[in-house]
Amino acid sequence: MKNKRCLSLTGLILIMFFTFTPSVNAEGKIHKLGMSLAITGPTSDAGNPYSKGVEDYFRFVNETRVLGDDKIECMIRDDQYKTDVTKRNFEEYLDKGIVMYLNYSTGSTLGLKRDFEEEQIAVLPASYHAGNLDDSNYIFLPVASYSEQLVALSEYVVKNHKGGKAKVAMFIHPSAFGRGPVEDAQKAIKAGLNMEIVEVVEHGKNLDNSAMLKRLSNKGVQYVLCHTVQSPVSTMLKDSTRLGMTAKSYGEKGKLTFLGVHYTGGNDLIALAGDASEGFFWTCSFNLTSEPGKGTDKQLALAKRYGRDNKAANSHNYAAGIMVAQVVTEAIKRTKAKGFEVNKKNLYKEMNAMNGNYAYQPYTTIGPVTYSDTDRAGVDMLQIYSVQDGTFKKVGTPIQSEYMKKIE
Amino acid sequence: MSYFFQIVVSGVVVGSIYALAALGLVLIYKSSRVANFAHGQIIAAGAFITYFLTITIGIPIFFSFLASMIITFFLAMSVERIFLRRLIGEPIISVIMVTIGLGSIIDGLIYLTPFGTENYSFPAFLPTTPLTLGGVSISWTQLVGVIITFILIGGFSWFFKKSTVGISMRAVSDDQFGAMSVGISVPKVFGLAWATAGLSAAAAGCIIGNITGLNFDTLHAFGIVVFPVLILGGLDSILGAVVAGIIMGLIQQLASGYLDGNWGLSGTGEVMPYIILLIILLFKPHGLFGIHEIERV
Repeated sequence: MKNKRCLSLTGLILIMFFTFTPSVNAEGKIHKLGMSLAITGPTSDAGNPYSKGVEDYFRFVNETRVLGDDKIECMIRDDQYKTDVTKRNFEEYLDKGIVMYLNYSTGSTLGLKRDFEEEQIAVLPASYHAGNLDDSNYIFLPVASYSEQLVALSEYVVKNHKGGKAKVAMFIHPSAFGRGPVEDAQKAIKAGLNMEIVEVVEHGKNLDNSAMLKRLSNKGVQYVLCHTVQSPVSTMLKDSTRLGMTAKSYGEKGKLTFLGVHYTGGNDLIALAGDASEGFFWTCSFNLTSEPGKGTDKQLALAKRYGRDNKAANSHNYAAGIMVAQVVTEAIKRTKAKGFEVNKKNLYKEMNAMNGNYAYQPYTTIGPVTYSDTDRAGVDMLQIYSVQDGTFKKVGTPIQSEYMKKIE
Repeated sequence: MSYFFQIVVSGVVVGSIYALAALGLVLIYKSSRVANFAHGQIIAAGAFITYFLTITIGIPIFFSFLASMIITFFLAMSVERIFLRRLIGEPIISVIMVTIGLGSIIDGLIYLTPFGTENYSFPAFLPTTPLTLGGVSISWTQLVGVIITFILIGGFSWFFKKSTVGISMRAVSDDQFGAMSVGISVPKVFGLAWATAGLSAAAAGCIIGNITGLNFDTLHAFGIVVFPVLILGGLDSILGAVVAGIIMGLIQQLASGYLDGNWGLSGTGEVMPYIILLIILLFKPHGLFGIHEIERV
């Protein structure tokens, strides 16, 4: 009797074990990925929601069996924006057998470029610096480069400017990240873009930009094109509003119209600058939740599913994180569908084949992701948004730079 | 001409805020001869505490501002009590290294909260229309910032010159053992110096945060940005911090207004204060108001 009870108890335990243990099918494989980014430290206001987007999408992929029995294991580590830590993280990921790598900053992407070449591993960074692609075969920019964005924004200025040559000033981050695109804007001018760059301002930690704004205004500047992060732009916008120098409508004569590239805008700018951000123009390749659609509904549903707060859920950086995770997942899915082994080499091939009929349309972006041997910028389309009544609203239809093709 | 006056007004405003931000460094140096490298983190903490009390708890911003100064007063005092008191009498470099470590710890603690990674701004509580006179404009935020700066600086100047505790603090700064021999409690003086530095840092954090928005990286960078003010002022002089702050602010704005963008120059507003600092230090190595100590052996 005792033996019988013992046996049935063992049987019950075994049944419960097999029922409730998360089952990884014997057939299923685990595809390892690594990501190193600034979850804390400088620029973590962007890095933090970005990491949440990546994490949530891969959880979703695993839970909803997007890859069938296969699972994605993405190791995410904070590097606090320090290139040496990024390098250490990357090397440890390699030891663990990653098949693709997600990076973050411009500095570390440039710094590790040679390592990516040696390891022959496809890399998706959060930096859209065009210089990442120089002498590189394995870096894939998720969206149009900062250069392309700045040139497209310059084209927008010229196209919508009334009377004569558009006089602009560039307000940039004092680093390679800030300076790089200015050179391309200058090349576009040489190639015929009817615009004059009156001054390039590399900002510091300014508490008051009155002198700079007045100086620009005295020189006849009408447009300020920003390529930096939100905080200095916010201070400048507040000063301009205080001095009564902000244009009430696009291109208003005698006033300044402010425009910016990817990392200058988003909800963080509105949070920092408040009402002074009204009328700020911004280029971005992502759908924003302030312009609801099917894509943003999915983004919000994903954030809700994993208990993210409103701030993260509505961040374009959260969308950017989801987007890179979507691209990696798609590459794995296509590799599997072709019956190939999911490894560094085959994923790289699959990334390069993502074009034409095989272009990929994630729900987070305003255009398709296309890569090839010669095209390493994923989404080429850019949407111009402007702040209206405290939120970013679409201005016209998506655009693409014409001059970038001429100067490349 | 209004262009010139606007630049001068902006320079004075920026300089005053620099002076307030540097005040905490002066207070600690004045009593303990230590340069506090965690000052920027305390500035940021003060700003975030005010925001938390205003937005999350719902206290009116004026009272949140006062409460955050009181909280950072005790917070800084506790920091001194826990980490630095044991180092009394130890080489100054050890204490400075501890302040660097302390900065990292506070960084880490703030990064554990949403304030470490997200951007916020204080609710508008002052009129948004700026004050304009003869083409020169100043925002209410800036004006209130300058007034608070001068009230605090005036208060601390009086405190150090007239009050018994203030004079004790100066005595400890001059000679710790001498001060102890006349019955002054050196540990208490150190604690008070840190506490008052915390209080002034919170005020600086709120004013800077109101201008730039609340971003941790931006706020804590001001702990380092104002070091030239401290050095130019002579390290332990409150009046020196005010004068040096205003000089730095004026040079920054004048260089930005008249040099940048001309003759191929750019970013002089950032560099010129340091160049002037070096030139002044060549002639006055102890800063504008620093004490030149002569030691007889």
